[in-house]
Amino acid sequence: MTEKLRAAKSKAASLLEQESIIEPASRLQSLRDRDTLTRFDRDTDPDLQADEDSSFAARLKFRDAARRAAKDKRAEAGLPTAEEAYNFFTFNFDPEPQQQRRKKRQSRRREAELEREHEGEEESEARDEDAPLVRDEEEDLFIIDQSAQDFLEVRRAEYIGYSRRLQRERETLFVPSMRPVPASSKLPENVRPRYLEEEGLYVGERPHVCLTNQNILENRILKQAEGRKWFGDDGCIIALPDPIKESSSRPPLFHLEDELDPALQAVYRKALKTKHVNLYIAGMGDPQADYQLDVDVSGLIFSHHPLFSREHVLAARLAQMYDQHLTRQHKNLTRLLTDKVTQKCASKTKLPALSQVTQQRIAEYKHEVRHTRQLRDVEQEKDRALLKSIIRVWKELKALRDFQRFTNTPFKLFIRREKVDGEQDEQEFENDIMAEVSELEAEAEEDYQRKMSEYRRQHEEWKSWKRKQKALKKKQKKKRQQEEEEEDEEREEELGEEPEKPEPPEKPDTGDLEEQVREKAARIRRKPGEPVLIPELTVSGPITPNEQCPRAEFARREDVAKRALFIKVLYNDKEVSRTDSRTLNMDFRVHFGQIFNLKIVNWPESIKLQVFESVGSSTSQLTEVCVPVPESSVLTGSAPFEEMEFSSNQRVTFNHEGVGSGVPFSFEADGTNTQTLLTSGKLSCCVSWAVGEDDVPLAPPSSQPGGGMYSGHRQMDAIACIGASGLNDMKKLGKWAAESRLDPNDPNNASIMQLLSVVSSGDVAVPEYFRLEQLQEEFNFLSDEELQRSRRFRLLRLRSQEVPEFRHFKCVPSMEREVSEKVFQDYEKRLKEGEIIDTKEHIDAHRALVAKYLQRVRESVINRFLIAKHHFILSDVVSEDEVPSIGVLGWNLFKLAEPKRPLKPCRKERKKVTAQNLSDGDIKLLVNIVRGYDIPIRRPYASKPPASAKSGRSFTEPFTAPVSSQTPQQGSEWPFGQVTPLVRPFVEVSFQRSVLQTSTAEGPNPCWNEEIVLPFSAPNGDYSSTSLQSVRDEVFINIFDELLYDVVEDERERGNTIHTRIERHWLGSIKIPFSTIYLQSRIDGTFKVSTPPVLLGYSKERSLGSEGGYDAVRSLSEGTFLSLFITIEPQLVPGDTVREKFDSQEGERLLIASEVFEKEASGRFPKRPCLTTVIDINGKTVFVTRFIRPLNPPQELLDAFPNSPQETAEVVARYVSLVPSLPDSVSFAGVCDLWSTCDQFLTLLAGDEEEHAVLLCNYFLSMGKRAWLIIGIAIPEGPTAYVLTYEQNRYLIWNPSTGQHYGQYDTFCPLQTIGCLISSDNVWFNIQPYAAPVRMSFDVSKPNLWKAFFSRAFPDPGLSSVQPEGLVYRHTDRAVAVELQDRIEKVLREKIMEWRPRHPTRWNRYCISTLRQFLPKLELSGGREVAEEHRLELQSLLGEYRISGFPLHLPFSEIRPIIEAVHSTGVHKVEAPNVEFALAVYVHPYPGNVLSVWVYIASLVSAH
Amino acid sequence: MAELHIIGQIIGATGFPQKSLFCKWGVHAGGAWRLLSGLKEGQTQVDIPQTGDMAYWSHPIDLHYTTKGLQGWPKLHLQVWHQDSFGRCQLYGYGYIHVPSSPGQHRLQCVTWRPLGSWQDQLAEMFVGGGPQLRSSDLIYSGADRYRLHTVGMGTVELELCVILRHFDRYGVES
Repeated sequence: MTEKLRAAKSKAASLLEQESIIEPASRLQSLRDRDTLTRFDRDTDPDLQADEDSSFAARLKFRDAARRAAKDKRAEAGLPTAEEAYNFFTFNFDPEPQQQRRKKRQSRRREAELEREHEGEEESEARDEDAPLVRDEEEDLFIIDQSAQDFLEVRRAEYIGYSRRLQRERETLFVPSMRPVPASSKLPENVRPRYLEEEGLYVGERPHVCLTNQNILENRILKQAEGRKWFGDDGCIIALPDPIKESSSRPPLFHLEDELDPALQAVYRKALKTKHVNLYIAGMGDPQADYQLDVDVSGLIFSHHPLFSREHVLAARLAQMYDQHLTRQHKNLTRLLTDKVTQKCASKTKLPALSQVTQQRIAEYKHEVRHTRQLRDVEQEKDRALLKSIIRVWKELKALRDFQRFTNTPFKLFIRREKVDGEQDEQEFENDIMAEVSELEAEAEEDYQRKMSEYRRQHEEWKSWKRKQKALKKKQKKKRQQEEEEEDEEREEELGEEPEKPEPPEKPDTGDLEEQVREKAARIRRKPGEPVLIPELTVSGPITPNEQCPRAEFARREDVAKRALFIKVLYNDKEVSRTDSRTLNMDFRVHFGQIFNLKIVNWPESIKLQVFESVGSSTSQLTEVCVPVPESSVLTGSAPFEEMEFSSNQRVTFNHEGVGSGVPFSFEADGTNTQTLLTSGKLSCCVSWAVGEDDVPLAPPSSQPGGGMYSGHRQMDAIACIGASGLNDMKKLGKWAAESRLDPNDPNNASIMQLLSVVSSGDVAVPEYFRLEQLQEEFNFLSDEELQRSRRFRLLRLRSQEVPEFRHFKCVPSMEREVSEKVFQDYEKRLKEGEIIDTKEHIDAHRALVAKYLQRVRESVINRFLIAKHHFILSDVVSEDEVPSIGVLGWNLFKLAEPKRPLKPCRKERKKVTAQNLSDGDIKLLVNIVRGYDIPIRRPYASKPPASAKSGRSFTEPFTAPVSSQTPQQGSEWPFGQVTPLVRPFVEVSFQRSVLQTSTAEGPNPCWNEEIVLPFSAPNGDYSSTSLQSVRDEVFINIFDELLYDVVEDERERGNTIHTRIERHWLGSIKIPFSTIYLQSRIDGTFKVSTPPVLLGYSKERSLGSEGGYDAVRSLSEGTFLSLFITIEPQLVPGDTVREKFDSQEGERLLIASEVFEKEASGRFPKRPCLTTVIDINGKTVFVTRFIRPLNPPQELLDAFPNSPQETAEVVARYVSLVPSLPDSVSFAGVCDLWSTCDQFLTLLAGDEEEHAVLLCNYFLSMGKRAWLIIGIAIPEGPTAYVLTYEQNRYLIWNPSTGQHYGQYDTFCPLQTIGCLISSDNVWFNIQPYAAPVRMSFDVSKPNLWKAFFSRAFPDPGLSSVQPEGLVYRHTDRAVAVELQDRIEKVLREKIMEWRPRHPTRWNRYCISTLRQFLPKLELSGGREVAEEHRLELQSLLGEYRISGFPLHLPFSEIRPIIEAVHSTGVHKVEAPNVEFALAVYVHPYPGNVLSVWVYIASLVSAH
Repeated sequence: MAELHIIGQIIGATGFPQKSLFCKWGVHAGGAWRLLSGLKEGQTQVDIPQTGDMAYWSHPIDLHYTTKGLQGWPKLHLQVWHQDSFGRCQLYGYGYIHVPSSPGQHRLQCVTWRPLGSWQDQLAEMFVGGGPQLRSSDLIYSGADRYRLHTVGMGTVELELCVILRHFDRYGVES
């Protein structure tokens, strides 16, 4: 039972497995799958259902049985009853399902007990369904019986036995066998497999396939129709070579860490001759290029063979000599040379012996004739000897044949005699001999002559020596007593060795000569009359047959017959083919006549033919012959056969008649006269390049280097002489041809001769230069010059180079003709001017030189700057509004809540405009003239009351009302009761040729408050910041006094008409450069007006204490002031200074420290300039303290006021201010300040505030003052440098450009902000709350007020100064000054006349002379007021004139600024009819070429 | 006096592993060519595209050449660089392209390549950036020894060039 159970279990398990295979997903052991399980059980397993209901299953089975029974019934007659059948089947089948069911149950029980109920339900359901079926069945039994034949057929399960199946499969299926296929079946009948590899052709390696697989494949293919086409000639399946490479085609490159780029590294290779570089013929890649060498082996002739009999040896020798004879005859050298001799003799005689050249030619001819004759003699001798030896050998041969009594060789020699005409022959012979003799005679004669002359010369020498000796001996006798010792030495010296006495040469013996010639002729020549012997060798002789020969000979012949020869052809040491073996004939000649076609891939290196000899089965190599590789021009068909001689050093001996090889043998019977012969012979073959079907030579291109592979028949002529490369050089070739005296008649040289003639006539010019871009010149469109000539291109190029003249060129014409030559005139002029110094503009050469130098420095700096300008930073390109920080935002919010104060307006920040979107007319200069202070007032002409009264009256009438309103305050001071205005000033602003003026105000303290708008146009319409920075225009603000003169002539009209003439008198001016306005964007403040020291007709006396409020302030300063506000509308973005880092010689630490210092300073006080490093004139960064060093001022200045240090200081300051000022930010367009040292500054005589300040500071230091350099901001200069001194417990601020000094508490001190102080050892930055000098302390020792650069943390490294030790001043020549003075005066006079084109200009000489005297006084007083005295003087002299005028004081740099200054005063504009002018110029020289120029200009109007 | 105007732009680049790219470019012409005006080399901005694969530069090129021969027709060489999030720049590709010789507008695509270093280099490149670069950029367009380089293909740069020829017909060059 347990066994049964186990079996059932296993069965059930297997069943389950089957189920799981059917639907594995349903077997998952989860609750979710349960449903599936049950359904599966019910639906897909009818067996299980059958288990549940055995009767149902049984019935089904019965149905089957019934069907089968019905079928059987048809087959057999007997029918079992239904009952029987039923019983039978039920009995048989019943227990099986029962068991199954139980098994199932058991297995299930374990797996899923939970399912039980559910399943049970289902089962019951199934039973319910089945119930009616069961009932039906019992009725159907009969029906089945009837219908079994109709519907059903019972069949046995079909099964075919294994063996039968195999058999059937064998019929339909084909299984290829794994056995190898015999080769015969793979190839067509009667074809031997052909292995390409053995034939020397390259066959790639086949891909590896398992042998069994290959066999299967072969078997299968062979069964196919046309199966054989898959097999190649070698019987293998056609396969491409294995495509898999063994190694990677891109092997990894290994390189070291630092050598990153292998492409750039050169591989060093020794200069080795590479052997296998050209192994493959170039161009093998393309299919057309197949090359074929034809090797034609025609035959072999042995000149000696071990099997030679003695007769053979002789016969071979005979044949050889006969061959030689034939070739000689063919060449017929003797005849050729003879002809040559006669020819040359003839041509020699033809030549006229006149000139030097022909003489030389004759000598050459003689030489040649002699040489040729010698050659001919040698040849003749050889001919004769050959003939003789032929005959001798023939005789020997005959003797041998007689001796051995048989013949081995068929050779037979006949000697034919040719009769000659005896007489003629003799004649010729004689002639020849005579000619030779005569020639020899001539030669001997010549030789004798030469020797004679030599002898004579020597004899002469000897004689003279003799004479000298005699003379010497006489002298010696005379002087012997006196100077014995010296004489001895001299004698020894003079005499030297005694020359030999020359022997006279012998006369040549002519008779002897003839004998010699005759003897020689007899030796080498045919005797006259003797018949010509011509040998003829035939091979017609009979050979003794074998039977008649002796034994030894017979053995030899047998041996010969056994031998066979064949030749192997080796190409590049590889055997490619071999000839058929041929037996050796009796005559030892082998004919092969085979041609081998070698299709070659490799470059031919060697072609060898190996001769093999086989005796029976053993073969031995006889020899090896190397055949040269033919030139590519050697083609089949045209190539001649060549006979290659070969020999072998094998030792062979025989015991028969064969003489052997390498062993001695003898012809003589007694064994003497032995000789040893080696196997040798000639191989006749021909190697040439094949010709293709379409007559294309299948030869590789000849450009391939042959590597010294010249073919045998190639004559080593010219190439050997001058090298192959020389062939290209025609000159060399020509030279070689001339040197080697090529015979032009020689047909061998014909081609060269022709070539040379072509060359000499055509003269092929070989360029003697190397060209980098080959063929460039040949394909050029046009020449460089043409390209250069193009004006348009030049214009375009200059524009892109930003040459100043063309930088702003907007449009360039598209046509060449539209560009006129004029465009370049300015540019070319400037280029030319570079060298020429304009002496008119610059007065003395020194200044011109300086100007030139300055120009050059400027250009170099500008170029540098232009480069730097192209380096953009982000802010240059991207304009980005800054995101307001929280603090700013909060402050703005707070401001919103502020109470509005409309009565206190404040300026709004204007929007800045970038330079790009500007054009002409967009920019305006706004000048707001607020008010003036202390304008000079008119001085009444006290001495001449009538005049002043008159003038006074003329004013009164039209201006009564306004004047009267003012007069209550001022009028009281005037001595006259009349209401005369003190002054009626107005301001005129001129800028860029546009002049505008304010309305006229009254009084010395006028208030205009007017805005003047001036248009601004940038140069060339370029509004970029660099261009704007370099604008050199200045804004002139002039104050004039307006005077009205009544010009009414007729008193009667006075009531009705007003005729007044306006006169303007210049009172003073302010100059403000545009660059200052541009860089500062606005200028606001009160400026001192520069007024002339003397103003005729005006007094600077203050209107005493009238306006109380201002007095306190004004009393501190002197002079006239003007309140201004200047700005540019719209506001422009000032250009940045250069960011470029200049190289420096300062220490790295110092540079970093200075950078940090400056950054910190600008961070805390952005408005205060801080300067630690500057750029010197060489463009190097230099620490600023290096510029400060005590330097001596000119001694003259110190001597001027020895007692007053204050005065001296002022004089020094004045001297410094006299050095012309040149703002370098203008000249070096925004580059930044360039600082020059003091000596450079004094040499250049130009510089801006810094240079002045440094010089002044250094002077003060040397004078023992405590002085500092102030870096600050002043108006109108902007950022500038001043000098601070400390004297007498107060600080003085010096303006170095003007020479003025201010006290610390001076309100009108132009210095507004002090950034830092610089001394020679430190820099202090101002960290006080205020920067105005009035409100700050200058005590640099207080660290909370001044931050020092060098502190304890970073001590001064001890910087040396860049300044020189001391300054050397040249004394300026007075005469130069006078000359300059005259010239300036002349120029100015001309100019004034020029400016007054419509009025005559009269000069008052008297006044001029007075002014001239006055000017030096002014200079002496240093420009201080000496006016009163001077005025009185003038007044007394020119009483009847109304004078207005003033002296102008300028430092001298050029004439142009002087002219401008004069022009700006407007003196020339006086248009009174009777006006006269006075002009005086004075130039005062200071040391160091510093010149102070005074121009006194005045207008005089007659008072009448 | 044949003249050649090259007017166009470097539009942008696609197909590079990273998107934040910029390009250095230059024009190389033979000895017969003379630049009349315009910049023959330059560098674009860094474009960090927010969408899409393509980095757009739209960098203008405007050159005016004159020539006395056809040899050495100008060619444009490019270097594409990648700027990573740390602001470091790294080479991403070299490429060159001939300026078209027919007049008119041309849309060009220049494929680029980059030298591939040793495996150490590649490893370093993966982690710390950088990478091998050509020592001399002439190699981009001369390419004498390029076969010895190990390179890897990078993306393409798109260009648009308008070519204007002038007076070439005078010298028998039909355009």
